Amino acid sequence: MTRLDSPRLATYAGLAAFGLLAGLAVGRVELVALAAPFALAAAVGRVLARDPQLEATLTVDRERALEGDDVHVTVELASPTGADRVDVFLPLQEGLRADGGNPRAVALSAEAPRTLEYPLRCERWGAFTVGPVYVRVSDRLDFHSWEARLGRAQPLRVYPSVEMLRALLEPLDTQVFVGNQLSRSRGDGIEFADIREYAPGDRVRNINWHASARRGQLLVNDQHPERNTDVVLFLDTFTDVRAGSHGTLDLTVRAAASLAHLYLERKDRVGVVSFGGYVSWLLPKSGTRQLYQIVDSLLQTGVVLSFAAKGIDVLPPRSLPPKALVLALSPLLDARSAAALLDLRARGFDLVVVEVSPVPFVHPGSSELDLLSYRLWRLSREALRARYEQAGVPVVEWTEGEALNVVLEEVTAFRRYARPVRA
Amino acid sequence: MTLAAVSAALYAAVVVYAATRKPPIAVVAIGLGAIGGLLLLTALVRRVDELLPASLAFVGIVYAIEILARGSGVDDRAPLVGVALLLCAELATWSLDERWSIKAERAVVVARATAVAALALAGLGVGALVLALAAAPIGGGLLWTVLGAAATLLVVAIAARRI
Repeated sequence: MTRLDSPRLATYAGLAAFGLLAGLAVGRVELVALAAPFALAAAVGRVLARDPQLEATLTVDRERALEGDDVHVTVELASPTGADRVDVFLPLQEGLRADGGNPRAVALSAEAPRTLEYPLRCERWGAFTVGPVYVRVSDRLDFHSWEARLGRAQPLRVYPSVEMLRALLEPLDTQVFVGNQLSRSRGDGIEFADIREYAPGDRVRNINWHASARRGQLLVNDQHPERNTDVVLFLDTFTDVRAGSHGTLDLTVRAAASLAHLYLERKDRVGVVSFGGYVSWLLPKSGTRQLYQIVDSLLQTGVVLSFAAKGIDVLPPRSLPPKALVLALSPLLDARSAAALLDLRARGFDLVVVEVSPVPFVHPGSSELDLLSYRLWRLSREALRARYEQAGVPVVEWTEGEALNVVLEEVTAFRRYARPVRA
Repeated sequence: MTLAAVSAALYAAVVVYAATRKPPIAVVAIGLGAIGGLLLLTALVRRVDELLPASLAFVGIVYAIEILARGSGVDDRAPLVGVALLLCAELATWSLDERWSIKAERAVVVARATAVAALALAGLGVGALVLALAAAPIGGGLLWTVLGAAATLLVVAIAARRI
């Protein structure tokens, strides 16, 4: 522990010395009497200086929590010598908030250890560490103090809260594996597709006997097979527009977690591409393990400032499989991500852009020039949206507070009437 | 806030006491006391610990000037003045410590208040003992002067080591 002496001790010693010397020099006992309490305080300060032996153990009641959950942190303090005053401070990263007193000062007896409870509110998703705690032990008059960092840091993963979605976007194409998505192609399945003439090799069980009797020739039923789909969540992490504790990146991560959760539940394969200053990806896979991997990777999502020109060429081909539905979540602020999305569309990917609107987080300003700039900025965004729509890419604006369901429904409506044509 | 107010009140009480005992030097005493008081207030309001020793030194000088100006006769209240200054310093420091807004449990506050009170009482006792010993008819002379000087030098040496 690092020992710190109060500067007041030196002051008292100095004042006592000054008083005694002055008293001796001028031969006045009052000055000695004046200095005596200070001399006594300095002497008491020396007596009180004894190194404390303090141990602290930090525990968190769980390692994983959801946004908005309460987590309990316990700090157990023990000292065989006791301590008149122990100041305990639990440093917390942004996104965690302690509801009780932090820091707090307690007295510690030699006989019994003390347990301090810290109820933490997880205000934001993220991968956090709780601890170590900063402790400062002081004597009763605060003449000496000893400071140290005690207890091991404990990990705490706060997962983003998942929005309940009623329906998901259906991709234009399905993959070859069995899933819950009705394929547009024909094959073995449950859903009736059409009737056609019997061809050698058709199974007898597929013959539609009623239709065959009516038409006088053998007809068979065709079905739509149930297949899985590949979904790639494309997160634009170049910029994050924030206002207080809310920002576009928070919305992006929350939406991505919700979508991944539901698509994986449907037995689809889901991958993630985090496209920003730092590019990362997760290859599309299915299953619960993939959900955990996606959520864990989302927790690491952050904005890394970079001026490097980046295109989708930096991504490995396997991260963007053919016929995959690419669902981009972007505030459409960085030219690099806007260009990359158009590039994806040009390469024939089934692309949907959910524009995580930065508008609610931007203050338009008050001066005429500010307002003009704001209007120009809004117009440039409109122009960008028009470019996407011209390319056959549905773009929907999603603002904070609006249900993601509404946005997805809007995309479905768009795709009902405007379907991209394959060259 | 209360601690700072009590500290400032004790400071003012000592300055007023020193100024009113010898009217001819009242202007000097109040002037120096005001400078010290300003330093104390600055320390308390702006949270500058470094100004505390200077403010205490100023009030000490005011009291010393008053003692010298008065000439003969011992001031029986000197221990009280010493304790008032010690309490002023302790309470001001305590007030400055509160700036960190650390939620302290009652036992900690009570323990410190008790310790400060005990220190003040002990200081009063030591000061009174000094005056009592000075008044005791044990004679004078070179031997006592040398002993007194040696004791003073010893205390100053310890204090210097401390600093």
